[in-house]
Order: sequence, then C-alpha cells, then structure tokens
Amino acid sequence: MQQTTQSDALLPPGFGELEGFVAYWAGETNDIRWDRRSRAAMAEIRRFYDAMLPRGEDAMKYLEKFPLAEMPDDATRLFRLLLSLAHASMAVEMHRQPRAKFSPFPHGMHIGRGPWPQGS
Amino acid sequence: MNDALKIELPQITKANGLGTGPIPIEPYISPEWYEREKKQIFGRAWLCMGRVEQLPEANSFITTEVEVCGVLVLITRNKADKISAFHNVCSHRSNMLVLEPAGTASKFACRYHNWSYRNDGSCLGVPDRENFFDLDLKERGLTPIACDVWEGWIFINLQPEPEVSLKEFLGSFGEAFRDAPFPAAEQFFTIDVGNMRANWKVTIDAFAEPYHVPVLHTATVGATFANKLNPFSRPLSGNARGSHRTLTTFGNPDYTPPEDALVERLAYGNVDTGNVLGSDVNSLDAGGLQNHPAINPNRAPSWATEIAWMFPNFIIFFSPGGFFSIEFWPTSVNTTRWMAKVHIPVAQDVRQRFQQEHHNCRMGEIFLEDVSNLECQQKAMESGAKKEIILQDSEFLLRHSIETVMKWVEAATVREVLK
Ligand code: FES
Ligand SMILES: [Fe+2]
Repeated sequence: MQQTTQSDALLPPGFGELEGFVAYWAGETNDIRWDRRSRAAMAEIRRFYDAMLPRGEDAMKYLEKFPLAEMPDDATRLFRLLLSLAHASMAVEMHRQPRAKFSPFPHGMHIGRGPWPQGS
Repeated sequence: MNDALKIELPQITKANGLGTGPIPIEPYISPEWYEREKKQIFGRAWLCMGRVEQLPEANSFITTEVEVCGVLVLITRNKADKISAFHNVCSHRSNMLVLEPAGTASKFACRYHNWSYRNDGSCLGVPDRENFFDLDLKERGLTPIACDVWEGWIFINLQPEPEVSLKEFLGSFGEAFRDAPFPAAEQFFTIDVGNMRANWKVTIDAFAEPYHVPVLHTATVGATFANKLNPFSRPLSGNARGSHRTLTTFGNPDYTPPEDALVERLAYGNVDTGNVLGSDVNSLDAGGLQNHPAINPNRAPSWATEIAWMFPNFIIFFSPGGFFSIEFWPTSVNTTRWMAKVHIPVAQDVRQRFQQEHHNCRMGEIFLEDVSNLECQQKAMESGAKKEIILQDSEFLLRHSIETVMKWVEAATVREVLK
C-alpha cells in the first residue's frame, strides 16, 4: 500500500464520518470481511449498513479516480468499507438476521481466495 | 388460457430410461459400501482435478490429496508445457515431497535428506550417493499417475494402467461439450468447506436439483429460480450422457431485486439481474455460452444453469454469465471436503469489483443454507428411521448418479459399465 495522500486521516476527505467503522469493517480480505460480519451482532451490522449505504455511490465515484490496485491508504480503507457493505447487506437484506437461518457457526466455510483486488 | 402451457417442461427420468422406484439409503450411510466405492469408483474413474489455468506457466505445479484413496498428488507443467501427475512421495524413505499447495519450480527437493527430482518426475540427485548400495537413479523417479486433459480440464486416474482412456470415460458427455466455452478461466474465487459432516453423495445431490431452491433458499435466491409459471422450479431439460449427466434449470425472467434490497440495487445499477448466479452480470452471454449446443440444449428462453455433472464427483455449472465448478471429495463415509471455484472476469472498475463481492457473498450464503441442511440430513439418514428415499422427476440427476454409482460398485471391469 502507498502512503496516505495528504493527512493522517484514516479516510479520504469528505468521508470522515465513517472513520469509526474502519477498525472493524475495513478487513483486508474477502474472508476476513465475511467473518467479521458473521460475528457481529445485528445492531452493529445495521449501524454500519445505515451509515455506509448512503455514501456508497459517493465512495464509488471517489475511488474511480485511482487504478484499482494502486489506491492510497485512505482510499483503500474506503474501498474495503464499501466491499463490506455487500457483506452487511446479506444480513440486512436477505436473512434479516446476522447469518443464514439455522446455519452453524463457526461453520468451517472459507473464501480461500477472493476476487482481485482486496480479495485475498 | 393457462399460463403454465407457455413453458415447456419435459418429462426427464423415464425419457432417459431410468427407473422410478425408491432408492435405498444404505449407500449414503454404510461404511462397507464406502469401502467398495473407494476401490470401484475412486480407484478406477478418471477424476477431475481442476483446470490447466491453475498451472499458468511453464514449471507451475499444484499439489492436492485424494483423501478417499489416501493418495497425495503432484501435478506439474514442464517447460515443454506437458502436464503430468505424480504421487507426491519421495523415492528415498517415502516422505511427502512437495508441501506447498501451488507454485513454480522446475525441480523439487525433499526436505528430509535432499533427494531431488525434475518436474518430469525423473530423479535428479541423491546426496552422498556413493554410500548407498547399487542405487540406480533411473529407477528412482517419482511414481507417475495417469493424467490427461480434456477441454482444459485436468484428470487423473489412480489405476496403474487405466482400463479406459479419458476419452472413452467421458464418452457422449465429452462429445456433447466439445469446444464448450470457459470464459474467465484464469480468475476464480474459491469457497470451500474442509470437513462437512455429510456423505459425499448427500452433499453433491444438494447442488444438483432445483426442487429445493424455492424452499430452502427463500432468503437468498428463491425468487430467482421460480415464478408463477414454474412455481416448483422444474428443469427445462435433462440428459443421461454415459456415466455423466446434465440438467437445465429454470431462471425467473421477471426477477428484480426487492424494493428494500438497496445494496443489491447499488451494486447492479441498471444491469439485468435475471441471472444472479451468472458470474459476470454485465455480460449475459459470456464467451458465447448460449450458442453451445449442449448448454440449454432445448433452447428454452428462461434458463438459469446447465448443470454438467462429470461422474463421480465434479460439477460444472454453466450460466449465461459464465461458469463455476464444485468438486466433492469424500474424507470418510460421512464427511466431505468440497470446494467451489467461481470464475469471474478481472474487475475493470470499482463498481464491478463491488458486484463481485456481492455475488461472492451471496454464493457463500446460499452454500451456508445448504451446509446446515445437509448435516441434519446425514444425521437423520443414519438414524435408521427410513430405509429409502423417494425421488421425483426434477431429481433426475440424483437418480442417474446413484444408479451409476451402483453400476460401478458392482461391475468387475470399467469397460463393462461403459458399454
Ligand atoms: S525421504 Fe526424501 S530424501 Fe529421504
Ligand atoms: Fe441448495
């Protein structure tokens, strides 16, 4: 990863309100993001979903400025937050609970390799 | 008039000459049966190990295990691009030779006493060779495993001298899928379960019938595989192809993400999501898949998947947007390791990458719904309450599979099953 563009801010300018989510929701790989969502309580998932969803379109627009695999650190974190939104939506939009109904946890299922970039 | 008349839903089981009776549960739970499968099926069938793109360049290699037969496998591509398979076992004192799951190397050294081998299997060197007794390196290469490639798929056969060639083994299936397109073969993401508590056939069966989809997968994909015209998601075609088999499943052409599926809508924008299993939603005819005669052979308008099941344990799923595969490896009579490889194009922009994450999450969630269900089913089968299972016409692939399994288990020779 490259150095942050201007400041020590975790996220690019204009996305500061999402900083509180970085520690948990900006997981590096697909598998980590999936696992974090699977372990989170519904209220936590909902809080992230509600904060990230309205910024989804803006985030995509902002991130398009960089080559996919060569984003500065702050943009990379935003990218990972955006990708975690897909995971959060599984709980919010599909299961309406943190995980698939009756599914065991831990379930021993892994994403050994995720899509490029930020996949594995 | 009756809307249902607008979709042609063929009769499959009888048309393919299969029986219609109940199926005994014993093969799904019996340790004795499992022993016979080990020898008669996994010890004799050509087994698909993956695609040539997993060995992307000269001197690429992969290692894997066929647990059911206790065999360690090393597959190499040499500098002449020849793909070969060997037992991943050192000729000195039989240690495991290569420990990495994949990589690039023209030669391999055993970490125990440093015997080394070229990637064509020949023994290259032995430290302190003079201290051995009549050692001839030419006799001490790696033990080969029969290996062949069909349409980019790598197969091995664990018989020291395979009774039939890969071509004969694939038979009419191989002919039907000749030149089938495999778009985005180079990139895939994987979802795997290392040790699921269900028999391998119980597991694979869950991926081969659409009957359960509107029921078990209501939350994830139920609405995309059934509609008013086809409420039970009946298949659009089914064909026995030698020991192999195919089925075309129905996709709901009217599917749109629900109103409140805001992230799904964000990901897919204006894209037609009629086919959510398609790996590349931006291209509803990836690689010209729709034109291949074996894929959706009846040319039904609303097809979702062509399930192409290669006996015994490997399924390729074609959909208008691409393909994925799932392989199922028994690890004991009632445990299975399985892995999906979902082939997707390399993302061109942020939105596409976001779609891929969403797609990939959804696949994971669908599979999770299956996992818990299958572990329950295995337990219930083992409870002994029932002696048989009942199959309907939409479960044609399962019936053809178990009938084929029984044939292979009983047959004295492979040739006799294939004729
Ligand atoms: S066992 Fe491999 S070098 Fe001795
Ligand atoms: Fe399923």
